[in-house]
Amino acid sequence: MSRFAKTLEQLGIPTAPCTAINVREYLTGWDRLYNSGMPLRYTTFPLPIAGASRQVHEMYVNGNDPVTGKPVMHQIVDALTRPLTSDEQSTEPTQAAMEPRLLLPDTEENLQELFKARDWTDYLPVVLPTEERVAGMLKGTSHKPDEVVKTIAWPGGGRRLTVEKVAVCAVMAGAKPEYFPVILATATVAPFGNSTTSMANMIIVNGAIRKEIGMNSGTGAMGPHNRANATIGRTFTLLSKSAGNLHAGVTTFGSLGSNLQYNNCCFAENEEAMPDGWEPLSVQFGYKKGDSVVTLATGWTYLSCAGELVTTYPPQMLIRDYMKSLSGMGSAALLCADPLVAGILHDQGFTTKGSLAQWLSRNVRMPVQQYWGNGIITTAYNNLGLQGLEPYAAWQKLPPDSLMEPFNNPTAINTVVVGGQTNTVWFITDFRVGKGVSIDGWR
Amino acid sequence: MSEIKSQQKATVKASSDGKVTVLNPACSSTMAERAPLAPRTFSSLSDKTIFLVDIGWGGPKAGYEVLEIMQGWFARNIPSVTTVLVAKKGSFAADDPELWKRIKAEGDACIIGISC
Repeated sequence: MSRFAKTLEQLGIPTAPCTAINVREYLTGWDRLYNSGMPLRYTTFPLPIAGASRQVHEMYVNGNDPVTGKPVMHQIVDALTRPLTSDEQSTEPTQAAMEPRLLLPDTEENLQELFKARDWTDYLPVVLPTEERVAGMLKGTSHKPDEVVKTIAWPGGGRRLTVEKVAVCAVMAGAKPEYFPVILATATVAPFGNSTTSMANMIIVNGAIRKEIGMNSGTGAMGPHNRANATIGRTFTLLSKSAGNLHAGVTTFGSLGSNLQYNNCCFAENEEAMPDGWEPLSVQFGYKKGDSVVTLATGWTYLSCAGELVTTYPPQMLIRDYMKSLSGMGSAALLCADPLVAGILHDQGFTTKGSLAQWLSRNVRMPVQQYWGNGIITTAYNNLGLQGLEPYAAWQKLPPDSLMEPFNNPTAINTVVVGGQTNTVWFITDFRVGKGVSIDGWR
Repeated sequence: MSEIKSQQKATVKASSDGKVTVLNPACSSTMAERAPLAPRTFSSLSDKTIFLVDIGWGGPKAGYEVLEIMQGWFARNIPSVTTVLVAKKGSFAADDPELWKRIKAEGDACIIGISC
């Protein structure tokens, strides 16, 4: 929102931006210094705002700013009328302190504590990134150490993530050099998900590299049982925190946080155990089977089926039922299915992943009031509906207790095959699959 | 790929004082160009037109309702103020250049929110 307020101020319109207390420190601190550059005059409101009654909202407006203690409306009038201070008029450039390439020499023990104190880790011990170890990691790619993989714009600061910086985090995570092309490919879509609602990511690998580096796509693939799966996923978190500068309460505000962010659910798809006609996830992005590709998915909800299939209730029915618990945001769902389940779905007539997506799109129904009763939906789509954009405009007119089909876009419903065929089990998630990134280009 | 040897578990070579040198995982940040606020050319809001803009976070009963209540406050406390309550187009993050132009053309000040 600061960019809207900045635009108005730059048009000569005195503006009083209002924020909830959860992001106030970010807006007046980091956002001001690294994003807007403007000393906006914020007024702060308590939480909750969405979901609170009108009576509560009246208390907020007629009460005091919880940070300054001043009456809200008097403060807003003041923000629009009080003459500017010299700081508020200043255009004098400022420079941030540069991060040195090398840290000051210290003992291993002290460095482990420093890395935790700087919030560069997941609070598990890291492998210290000595020059020797980082040089070893860099042998895993033909790309030069000073090549910029990505300029990280969020949450402000335009940080240049180089190949060497990624190597530092890969060493910290305990990765091997042969994993480095996968890690570099995931770094192009860093940092990890960031929202007060605590979103998370999933990292899915396809193609030849899975076997080359010993990734797990079978038994326990989505658990803590494989070095490649574990450390590739861990690297993504460490570089999101260190190079990406995502620190809880400062630049990232997930209220509960997500345990998935320890490893970002990194696994390989079990391409060898897919039924005929089912293609690897990467193929839908235009890659050929066998191309080494990594795909980042983003979402919130992760449900396990809990038990094995029962012949009297076909798997697609239970998957459909569980999907009714998802928000429907972006029509997105990602089914992680054991090969046994994939085979049964195939035998049920779902000869392609797409045919299953089509069926689920038509058959998942939820009450209208449940759909619009989720703040993620109202925040994302309410205004679009009011402005006449379909299908949201039509969905807003439906009776609250009628049923609707929120997964209206079958291409946003994806399936990956993973697991060791020890049981007919699956997970359903609301993760939205991003565009696959070539790993081969980072070898 | 098979030509690359797996990284051996290297021991950390410490200097004679037991200290080691490591690379810094953090990247330098570039500060934003400083931008001043718009001059405050009036000491009172009397007879002014204020746009109240809801960015849409949390749905129609969130920020919009708070701004509606503010509208009532102005009507009671500074009745000469004209308030215009609008919802920004698109999602909460979408820009709305037409609205900013309208505010520039028709308004004297703006209250915008609520960021969560």
